[in-house]
Amino acid sequence: MDIATMIFNGISTSSILLLTALGLAITFGLMRVINMAHGEFIMIGAYTTYVVQDIFSKNLPESFFDLYYIVSLFVSFGVAFLIGVILERLVISRLYGREIDSLLATWGVSLVLQQAARSIFGAQPVNVKAPSFLQGSIGGTTSFSYVRLFIIFVMVICLLGIWLLMYKTSFGARMRATMQNRSMAQCLGINTKVMDCVTFGIGSGLAGIAGCSISLLFSIDSTLGTKYIVDTFMVVVLGGVGKLIGTFTGAGVIGISNITLETLTSASIAKFLVLILVIVFLQWKPQGLFAIKSRSLDE
Amino acid sequence: MSFLKKNTKNIVFTIIVILLALIPLFADIGLLKSSSIVRYGRYITFAIVAIGLDLIWGYTGILSLGHGIYFCLGGYGMAMYLLMQKTGGKITDFMQRGGFTELPWFWKPFLNLPVSLILILVVPGLLAALIGYFTFKNRVRGVYFSIISQALTWAMYTLFNGLQPYTNGTNGITGIDTIIGSYYDSTNIKILFYAALAALVLVYALSTFLLGTKFGKILIAIRDGENRTHFSGYCVSSFKTFIYVLSAIFAAAAGAIYVNLNNSISTSEMTISFSVSMIIWVAVGGRGSLIGAVIGAILVSGCEFGISSAFPDMWQYIIGIFFTVVILFFRRGIVGFVSDAFQRLTALKSKEGSAA
Amino acid sequence: MKCKLLKKLALITAGIVTAVSMSACGGNSSGGEGGSESADGETVKVGLLHSLSGTMAISETSVRDAELLAIEEINAAGGVLGKQIEAVEEDGASEPSKFAEKAQKLIQDDEVATIFGCWTSASRKAVKPVVEGNNALLWYPVQYEGMESSPNIMYMGAAPNQQAVPAIEYCAEDMGYKTFYLLGSDYVFPQTANMIAKAQISALGLETVAEQYVPMGHTDFQTIIADIKSKQPDVVINTLNGDSNVAFFKQLADAGVSSDDVMTMSFSIAEEEVNSIGANLLDGHLVAWNYYMTTDTPENEKFVAAYKAKFGEDRVTSDPVEAAYIGVYLWKAACEAAGSFDVDAVKAAAGGIEFQAPEGKVVVNAENQHISKTVRIGKISADGTINEVKATDAPVEPDPYLTTYDWAVAANLQPLE
Repeated sequence: MDIATMIFNGISTSSILLLTALGLAITFGLMRVINMAHGEFIMIGAYTTYVVQDIFSKNLPESFFDLYYIVSLFVSFGVAFLIGVILERLVISRLYGREIDSLLATWGVSLVLQQAARSIFGAQPVNVKAPSFLQGSIGGTTSFSYVRLFIIFVMVICLLGIWLLMYKTSFGARMRATMQNRSMAQCLGINTKVMDCVTFGIGSGLAGIAGCSISLLFSIDSTLGTKYIVDTFMVVVLGGVGKLIGTFTGAGVIGISNITLETLTSASIAKFLVLILVIVFLQWKPQGLFAIKSRSLDE
Repeated sequence: MSFLKKNTKNIVFTIIVILLALIPLFADIGLLKSSSIVRYGRYITFAIVAIGLDLIWGYTGILSLGHGIYFCLGGYGMAMYLLMQKTGGKITDFMQRGGFTELPWFWKPFLNLPVSLILILVVPGLLAALIGYFTFKNRVRGVYFSIISQALTWAMYTLFNGLQPYTNGTNGITGIDTIIGSYYDSTNIKILFYAALAALVLVYALSTFLLGTKFGKILIAIRDGENRTHFSGYCVSSFKTFIYVLSAIFAAAAGAIYVNLNNSISTSEMTISFSVSMIIWVAVGGRGSLIGAVIGAILVSGCEFGISSAFPDMWQYIIGIFFTVVILFFRRGIVGFVSDAFQRLTALKSKEGSAA
Repeated sequence: MKCKLLKKLALITAGIVTAVSMSACGGNSSGGEGGSESADGETVKVGLLHSLSGTMAISETSVRDAELLAIEEINAAGGVLGKQIEAVEEDGASEPSKFAEKAQKLIQDDEVATIFGCWTSASRKAVKPVVEGNNALLWYPVQYEGMESSPNIMYMGAAPNQQAVPAIEYCAEDMGYKTFYLLGSDYVFPQTANMIAKAQISALGLETVAEQYVPMGHTDFQTIIADIKSKQPDVVINTLNGDSNVAFFKQLADAGVSSDDVMTMSFSIAEEEVNSIGANLLDGHLVAWNYYMTTDTPENEKFVAAYKAKFGEDRVTSDPVEAAYIGVYLWKAACEAAGSFDVDAVKAAAGGIEFQAPEGKVVVNAENQHISKTVRIGKISADGTINEVKATDAPVEPDPYLTTYDWAVAANLQPLE
């Protein structure tokens, strides 16, 4: 396999990892909620894409069909955002400061969401059709597929959007203030309840977008989310909790080393080695690649 | 009187053990189905794992999402010995498929019972010591430890599935007898059941003893204020490593007994979801109380079996919602709920008494 | 003093209540005690044991549906030996231990007459000692790796000589392919199928260019696809399983590789998988089975219509679905031949029983408990159907150990024991 293909594959895998982990970087990185149902929000995004496609193909003329994918990117954000807000109000809001309990409670939620997907859509995977503008690839022997390029594009937009939102708007400032020092933020008149709710919603919504993007490459079924739970957490922890640049780097490191090792060995061994390497690295730097500097003992 | 008060939990444990001990008798006279003996036998091994987990989570504050590894290592060790007994030391079909003509080196010790028994406990113990030593020394703690242990479980699961010529992959090790003979002999099963029960009593007694000593108090101190304990001059990481290794050995022992009662072991016991369900047992029963762990393991497994039979298409709803509600509203689990209820009751009583 | 005593008593009762509720909960769980008359009442119980949750639910729920359909049809026609069939459903949850536990429960507690169930080799291997130890009967509906012949399992799916071996023959002889790329999920069926394939390919004097395995549930196929593109094999022998298949073909199409560039021959893609991958992506690829929804027999027409009527117009039938369906009918026929539900009698009577199945005539082989099946090579077309391109004239006798093939005997593929 030539180097260009390998680099492109590495970037593509990294971009998928980053996109799926971005929501977690917010819910876990900022809010310290161990959301084991994160993968199920990705699943919700993927199923939403399927539903939107279904509505388009049944109600609109053929020429509009390709638009469904663009629409579903937004709709899957919206649906995942809404379900995220509901989950935050019902469950997560009772668990702030109880990190371990949030892990266990959301595990229960993930079981419920998986079963719900089976009840609604059946156990068999459903299928979405790639819009015509995303079919095919550019290049000759070393080809770059449009879908993968599109996922990289979506990833960049999401990353940029989150960065702008968090660091360039007053909303982002309030959001970070709430997550860093809740009582102080409250004293300054920030409605922290609303901030929590919206922040969790955004994290979930990003997972929804991820689900929509990957639906063109992967199987859409009720167990879709379970495949991402380990990888996404490792990305966030490796990068350093609470740092966007960390998540970005973490995804890059894991994605590229995964592809490299897979080329050298086999898929099973590569997966094992990457996980072990990350674990060993975390022994050396428990705070990850980009730690938030702090003098406090219990961060 | 004060004997009763001081030993409430031990008394409850005794009652549970007696009830469990009656299960084979109930099965004989037809009150319980005959398959319930092995089933409860398996739940007893779960209770042993749960006690170990409670020691590190409920008492020391380390949440491990990877105890399935130790459970499986113990289980695979036992299964390898039993398989070697069955084949008479010859290589197996999966090794042959992998292109072996003789036994891989690490299978060879499992031809011998005493060596196997030692390895079953020592290998998981050493692995736990290695992991514990580094992670605790490097002060990886809280949720980071949980996430790392989860990743480790996933890594081991991938490895065991990938090394088919050595482990038989997802099929695992099946078609074995128990350590005392055929699995389909009801006397054997009863003996194994009581052996499991005896192991549970032993592990419970050892843990209760340990928690009663100064060592136990230090564990709780670590849970409630790790830095303070550190500054008081205790080597926190050594204490954590020790208790982590102990709980891994409990899990391995439980795994070894489990194989005898389950007649097989496969990588599905090494999945993250199995390790999380171990935590759920402790959480539902009541963390920070050994009796809670025992009750939780047996109750949750029993209910899961029952509910999944009654509602095969939707039992995951019920289980999922139940867990979430328990975590949200009954933080200290069943034991916490019951003892709180009694405290309120007696408070009410004493109020009435003083009013009169 | 009195108060204290009360408290203690109450605490103890609480303990007892917890413990009793605990055992009661477990007791209930033995479940379905209502009709324990089993074989001597108005109904006869059978167990349906499939994964309804977990990763394998993708495939196994429709197999369960087919069994329910067969049971409903038989009941409507008067039942078996004058008794209505009562199905006891259990969820194996994609975990072999759960399968074994539930199988034991079905046999010992529910006293079912027989079990229809399993899909993965792992679940079958876990249930095998249970049915053997209790002398019960399992009807297994899926094509599998062979090298097994338990007296307590009836194999309704294809043995290797009824699917994999003829498929490679077809590739070599009819299509003239010279180079083979073996790709599978990392578990026993692909490993064994490829072991057989390698022996066969080298006996034919052809070349295996690569043998690749990915972990179960693996979804990122970029590296594999790049490897396939660089090695340019004539055909990819695909033994991937479940959702990996969906990801593989979506990504293969996405990488611009169609069946014109690289042909694939799949052993685990049936009509349902075609639906979830998208038929347009699979246009022209080959599969090997014993039955397709398009198979032209009057029995199949009836079967497809009944299946769609019961479960919905958009549902499709496939080879495992059909195999599960004939399993129930063969059990009925064996019971009627034996005149009882007794396992030994049914087993003894089963050998030689014929049934006009949707796939054509099948006969139970008395020696190895498999059934003879017609082998069909199919081509997927863009409308989602699979059409037969070649079929054997008569049903092929099952040969799970491949003893009738010289190259297989020479390669010494038989398990030791």
